[in-house]
Amino acid sequence: MNSTPSLLNRILLTVLGLMLLAAGILLVLLATVPPVGAWWQSWSPGIWDGINQAFNATRFPGRTESWLWIVVALVLLLLIGLMVAWIAQQGKGRSSLLAAEYDPGDVPGDVRIGGGVAEQALKHALAGRPDLAGSTVATYDVKGSPALKVRLLPRQGVAPHLLAAEIAGLLAALEAVVGKETPVLIHIGAGARTRFGRAERVR
Amino acid sequence: MSSRVDAGARRSRREEDRRTEGQGPDMRRVAYRETHSSRAAVAIVAAVLVTVLAAYGLLEAAVHAIGQPAWLIEPQVAAQRLVELPAGISPLLLGAVGAVLAMAGLIFLLNGVLPGRRARHLLAGTGQASGGPAVVVDDEVIASSLARRARLAANVTPEQVMVVVSQRQVLVNVRPMSGVPVDGGTVLAAVQDELDQMELEPSPEARVNVTPTGVIGA
Repeated sequence: MNSTPSLLNRILLTVLGLMLLAAGILLVLLATVPPVGAWWQSWSPGIWDGINQAFNATRFPGRTESWLWIVVALVLLLLIGLMVAWIAQQGKGRSSLLAAEYDPGDVPGDVRIGGGVAEQALKHALAGRPDLAGSTVATYDVKGSPALKVRLLPRQGVAPHLLAAEIAGLLAALEAVVGKETPVLIHIGAGARTRFGRAERVR
Repeated sequence: MSSRVDAGARRSRREEDRRTEGQGPDMRRVAYRETHSSRAAVAIVAAVLVTVLAAYGLLEAAVHAIGQPAWLIEPQVAAQRLVELPAGISPLLLGAVGAVLAMAGLIFLLNGVLPGRRARHLLAGTGQASGGPAVVVDDEVIASSLARRARLAANVTPEQVMVVVSQRQVLVNVRPMSGVPVDGGTVLAAVQDELDQMELEPSPEARVNVTPTGVIGA
């Protein structure tokens, strides 16, 4: 429902996992298989010399330090920025508007209905139910259009399809009030409150 | 005049088309995202790990750039040690470090590659086909509902029924009261009826297992 970039997460995790796995396997092989150690000692100095030369060739005139260090620092700074941006993308997507549309009526202008309308109305409608241990209603922004997510925590033993049908009726009433069709996701879940609370016995 | 009305009607129809068109796959995508893990937690762990490593590298690089002595280890010395690797460190420690790295890499890799399905089912009955909302149910809720139905059919206490719901299978374990036989067929019929009403997607197959030994005093 939220706009967590799941594909990006998968790609980046796979890349990072492959890199770590390769490094770990190389270290294990170096520790256990002597021929790998010999190959490593013959192969890696070439690379190291190349890097050393690059550093030596890029010294500040008249000083011993290379300006390549500043480049390295900037690249790492960029990497940190990208990582922070990646974290910031997780779990985004909540919005506060249920409907926003131009109204070509007698008084021209925009009509905006806040998500609080749906949240309060549904919460109020669900408040007295004995078969629910809790519920939350949230408005999300799915690819530019508003959507509602209703999360229900029924007590143990409640039939989910009957509950869903009843909530669907409530949502239809809400749609009639708002006057606009909103895509809705109902999530019937379980949590600590339903696991340890009393069971529903009446229905 | 008529042409304007025509154009308006066509536009509204196109908008309607787009909306129904946009809503169908959209809700399916939402349902998919809801039944599969987004890997947000693992992604945050990975990002923090990379950030910490990069911050340390940044510190050493900056310290080096302004010509100060290194904080923990001189980068050149570290690289030199890496190049000479099997020497200079006990093979046991090297192997252990490698194993830990490989393990962490494997965890990240599997998190990225595996499908990451959550223990949830879609309810098709009240679903998008009838224009209603998409419904996603935790397997635990399905299990407790089926357990209630099986308990009533078998006429036993709640503690004597255990239901395990997985992606494609529902396993109902019933421990009858000692001396009071429980008919597995009736329980299966009741559970199957409840499952048929739910119209789960993917639809699981029900199995009932009545244990040969009963319980006393339940």
